[in-house]
Amino acid sequence: MQIKVNGRTIEIFAGARVGDVLRKFSRAEWTLVRKRERIISDPYGHEVGLDGELNGGEELVTRARAKAEPRS
Amino acid sequence: MRRALSANPGLRLLLCALLAVLVRPSCASVAPAPAGTRIVIFHSNDVHSKIDNFAKVAAIIDAERKSGADVFFFSAGDNFAGDPVIDQADPPGGPMMELLDRLGLDVLCLGNHEFDYGLEILRKFPARIPMVSANIEAPPDTLPALRPWVTLNTKAGIKIVVFGLIQIEPGNGLPSTHPEKIRGLRFSEPLAKALEMKELRSAGQVMIGLTHIGHEQDLLLAKQMPELDVIIGGHSHTRVDPAESVNGVLVAQAGGDNAFLGRIDLLIENGRVVEKKGRLIDLSQVRDEDETIKAMIAKFHQNPALARVIAKAPLEISGKHALGSLMTDAIRQVHGLDIAFHNNGGIRLNRLPQTITLHDVYTLDPFGNQIVEIVMTPAEIRSLIKNSWERKNDIDLQVSGMTYTVRTDGAYQIRDIRLNNPDGSPLAEDRTYKVGLSSFIASSYSFSHRDPGRSLYTTTADDLIRYLESGIDLGMYRDVRRAFSEKPPEAPRN
Repeated sequence: MQIKVNGRTIEIFAGARVGDVLRKFSRAEWTLVRKRERIISDPYGHEVGLDGELNGGEELVTRARAKAEPRS
Repeated sequence: MRRALSANPGLRLLLCALLAVLVRPSCASVAPAPAGTRIVIFHSNDVHSKIDNFAKVAAIIDAERKSGADVFFFSAGDNFAGDPVIDQADPPGGPMMELLDRLGLDVLCLGNHEFDYGLEILRKFPARIPMVSANIEAPPDTLPALRPWVTLNTKAGIKIVVFGLIQIEPGNGLPSTHPEKIRGLRFSEPLAKALEMKELRSAGQVMIGLTHIGHEQDLLLAKQMPELDVIIGGHSHTRVDPAESVNGVLVAQAGGDNAFLGRIDLLIENGRVVEKKGRLIDLSQVRDEDETIKAMIAKFHQNPALARVIAKAPLEISGKHALGSLMTDAIRQVHGLDIAFHNNGGIRLNRLPQTITLHDVYTLDPFGNQIVEIVMTPAEIRSLIKNSWERKNDIDLQVSGMTYTVRTDGAYQIRDIRLNNPDGSPLAEDRTYKVGLSSFIASSYSFSHRDPGRSLYTTTADDLIRYLESGIDLGMYRDVRRAFSEKPPEAPRN
């Protein structure tokens, strides 16, 4: 299936989760999201978990975590 | 009359006063205190066996119930799969079912991972809790608690209609779980099925879609179905805070892993929802805990099932090559694959004791990576091995179903990679092989493969447990080695 991360199309196995796609997009970005220094969200700005499940054609966006956003 | 009023100021004053008195009752009807029914719905999704925050959830729900409001608790699916404390309990998922029952769960929308332990286990869910999913057809007695929708009643008799939807994969039309676990069930496209639910609008004053289709699909559902008051979703682990209004429908989802509890507030007046809002409660900021639930959780953490002996070996199985051979054999045998790989970084013990428990398996392999099947040519397999070698200039991938030798020059640069069948003959270059990898390798190693692959919806630990429980002779893992490297001997010094 194909998932877009920051506008780039990532081809990945069917059933991949958010963390799998992010790792394929950028190992460094995956590490920062795991450390909760950065956020991965849907195109509407809602944070999604690394275990979040995906349907082909979805889009994800990474960004810095604002100070006010919860880290749990 | 107008002339009489302007001519007589006293009469005008008298009429104004009279009007003020007459108007007062209607002014009172728009006064701030609403005379409607207040409904509070707490919701969670994608808990994935993370039970620790349930003591806080219980405290929050109980406090609200004591306030006198009509309080409900909904689950949008995927309570199972993610922690051996729950997944390896006896029965699997038992503690989760017990906790959800004690929390007073009112309705459960089945998620794809509700099926991970199989239908027999799902049937053990407390009969009090209805399961909803409109796009699942189950033969009689397969899942007696399953229905397309349910109607819940408030104390004042307001009816809340709740229907469920589960995601399916576009490729095979099945939810994302192992196909063996859902044998006998039929699934249909969720958004198409939802349209058939429109007729339920007249069956209640409140209509809710409790879904496990992911937030993007929830947004599409809201756009096609303004008859809904609220959609409470799951599957994508999306933190929607506050809940958003789309086409007049309030759309909510509470992240995942039991880190947040969703709360929806509805105000019903004259038989319809006149006010609705939703937000998430960050459970890390909650201090109050229900002591009974807390004690139950502590008991569940001492899961005796994890001490269960699942295999005995004639000797300890030690070293990356032996342990990696065992783990890859498990992947290959369980799924009937030609070849399987596992990376050294995913082997977290140096040795397995002779008496192997479930706890040992989860210590050896704690990551919960899924198995991915990719159809590969020998050239593609070489590109995988090449990338693995270049990470540390050393053997990194353990293998089953073949052996390989990386030949390098004196500076560890690869000269060639030889692939052999277990009998020593070379792999056929003109055919493809069904290769099993962990999702970690599939997503973080750089290698060529035309087939994008597919998850087989088991974890590497699941497969190892199943393999060990099959009673195989573990003596074969003594001194086993299937991955080799060769470099030319150093030139003699003068």
